[in-house]
Amino acid sequence: MTIIANNIIKEFGEPPTRVIQGIDLTINDGEFVSISGRSGSGKSTLLYLLSTLDNPSHGNITIDGKDPQEMSVEELHLFRNHHLGFVFQFHFLLAELTTLENVLLPARRDGQHYEKEEYARELLKTFDISDKTDKLPAQMSGGEQQRVAIARAIIMKPKYLFADEPTGSLDSKNGEIVMDILRRANSEWGTTLVLVTHEPEFSQMAQREVYLVDGKVRENHSIA
Amino acid sequence: MLFLAIRHLLSRKRQTILIFLGISLGTMMFTIISGMQLGMREFIEERLLNNTSHIQISARERFIEREEMSERFFGDQVVQWRVPPAGKREEAHIMYPQGWFDRLSNDPEVTGYAPSLNMNVIISHRNTKYPTSLTGIVPDMQEQVMELEKYISNGKLSDLGGGNKVIVGSALLKKLGSQVGDHILISSGLGELRPFKIVGLFEMGVQQIDETLIFAGLKTVQTLNKTPGQINSIAVSLVNMERAHELAEQWELTSRDKVQSWEQANAGFLQIFDFQDYTRMAVTFAILVVAGFGIYNVLSIMITQKRKEIAILRSIGYPPKLIMELFLIQGIILGITGAIIGLGLGHLTNLYMATIELGFGPGGHDGGGTRMMISYAPSIYIQGFLLAFISAILASFLPARAASKLTPLDIIRSDL
Repeated sequence: MTIIANNIIKEFGEPPTRVIQGIDLTINDGEFVSISGRSGSGKSTLLYLLSTLDNPSHGNITIDGKDPQEMSVEELHLFRNHHLGFVFQFHFLLAELTTLENVLLPARRDGQHYEKEEYARELLKTFDISDKTDKLPAQMSGGEQQRVAIARAIIMKPKYLFADEPTGSLDSKNGEIVMDILRRANSEWGTTLVLVTHEPEFSQMAQREVYLVDGKVRENHSIA
Repeated sequence: MLFLAIRHLLSRKRQTILIFLGISLGTMMFTIISGMQLGMREFIEERLLNNTSHIQISARERFIEREEMSERFFGDQVVQWRVPPAGKREEAHIMYPQGWFDRLSNDPEVTGYAPSLNMNVIISHRNTKYPTSLTGIVPDMQEQVMELEKYISNGKLSDLGGGNKVIVGSALLKKLGSQVGDHILISSGLGELRPFKIVGLFEMGVQQIDETLIFAGLKTVQTLNKTPGQINSIAVSLVNMERAHELAEQWELTSRDKVQSWEQANAGFLQIFDFQDYTRMAVTFAILVVAGFGIYNVLSIMITQKRKEIAILRSIGYPPKLIMELFLIQGIILGITGAIIGLGLGHLTNLYMATIELGFGPGGHDGGGTRMMISYAPSIYIQGFLLAFISAILASFLPARAASKLTPLDIIRSDL
C-alpha cells in the first residue's frame, strides 16, 4: 500500500506559476520520508498534494490505489478521517475544548468518541501530558499543545501521518520531544510518516529524504 | 455537531447573551403586542360583532326619482319641474316578510332568524327627554341570532312578552335616573305618549349601544308605530358564519331588500383589525430583523475567528455539510432558546398587564372592560416561536454556508 505521485504539477495564479514542476514520487507503506528544501521550494505544497488537501494541476496521485480526485466530497472526508492524520506547524486546537476533547475530535465525527476515550487517555499518558487531560489549550505550553495535536492526528490510528513543520514554532527541547513522538508513531505503530521540515537534524531522522529545489526533486535517497 | 455548537456558543458568552437577548426581547415584544391587540380585538368582537347577526336583511329605503315621476304623469312630454319631486317614498319596511320567513325556515344553512321593527322614539321620565331607538323583537327568535340574554343583568328577555314593557340600556337608564320597575313614557313622534314599564336592563359594554337602545316586544312596537305586521329587519344566524358573505350576495340578487353579511356591516372594524395586524407584523418584523442581523454578525465574526478550527475540522474529516451544520445549529439553538424565554417573559408580562385597572370602561356584569384586555391565544405563541426560529435559521444560513465553503488549505496558507 503506497502513495504514488505521477508527474504532478501544481500551478498557482494567473498567469500560472509552477510551484511543483513534474514530480514522480512513491511513498511506501510504513516508511518515514522527510521532504526538505529551502523556503519556497514547494515542500509544503507537495505535502498538501500527497495528503489530499490539495489537487495537482496536472498529473495524478493515488493513495492505496485510489485517486482522491475521483472521490465524492463525503468519501474524501471519510477517507481523511479514517486513514490520514495531520500535524501542522501550528497546533490548531479548538480553544473551547479540553485536551481530551480535542484528541477525540476526529472520533466524534462518527460518534466513536466514547469507545476511543481509553485509547486517547493512553496516548496522553504516552506523550507525558496525562495531567493536562482536562486543561484547555490556553493552559498549556506550545510543546504540550503540539503533543495534543499529534495525539489528535493519530487517535483514529491512521495509516498515513503528514506533518508540516511540526517543530517550526517550538524551542529545541520541545522540538525533540515532538520528533521523538512522531518517530515512535512510525516505528512502534507502523504509521507511514511524511514529514516536511527545513531542519537537517530532523530530516536525517527519516528513512528516506526527498530534497526539493524549485519544485523539483533534487535528491531522493535513503538514509542509513 | 451539537456538542461543538454548544461549546462554541459557551466560549463566546457575551456575544451569545447579546444575541439571545435580542431574540428574547423581539419575541417578548411580539407576545405583548399581539396579546394586547388580539385581546382588544376579541373584546370588540365579543361586544360588537357577536351582537350582530351573521346576515342582516333590512328594508331598502326608496326615494322618489324625478325621471320616474315625469314619465308616469307626463309620458313622453318634456317636463321642466319648478320644484322637482324628491324625498323618501315611505317608511322603509320589508315588503314580503313571509317570503323571507319561508325561505329562511327551509334553508339548511340557516340556524335561526329573528324579525324586528326599529323606530325612532322620544322617551321621557319626569322632566327628562331623550331621542332614542326602540327595537321590537320576538324574544324567543331573537335569542337564536343574538346572545342578548347574556347581557341582561336585571330581568329576562322573555319578560318582554305582551304589554308595554321595555328592556333599557344601562347608560340610558342612568341618564333617565330611573330603575327597573319604573315606568317611562315613549312617543313615536305621532303625538301619542304611551307608558312603558322597565322590566330589565342590559349592558353590552359599548357606550353607543347602552345609551341609545331599548327593546320591546315586536307587536308592541308595531302597535306604537301604527304599522301592524310590519318589520324592517330580519337577523339571520348561520351554521357557518364564514359563508355569510357569499350567501348574502346570493340572496340580494333575488330580493329588493338590502342583505348584508356581518363582514359588510362591520367593515370598518375589520379594517381596523387588518391595520392592527399589519402594524403588529411590521413591528415584530423590525425587531426580529434586528435580532437576525445580530445573529448574522456574531456568527460571521465567529467564523472569521474560527477559521483555523474550520481548517482542522475539514482536514480531520468533517465535510462541508457538517461545518454548515455546526453553525446552523448555533443559530437554531439561539432561536429556540431565545424564543422560549421571550415567550415566557411575554406571557408573564401579559399576565401582569391583565391586572392593570384602566379606570374606564363599562365594567360589565362579567367584569370585562375595566382591565386591560389580553389575549392568550395559542396562535400568538406559535407565531412568535416560528418567527424567532425562522429568522434565526435565515440569519445563520449565510454565515454557515460561507463557513462550509472555506477550504482547509486556504486557511492554513493564509495563516502561515
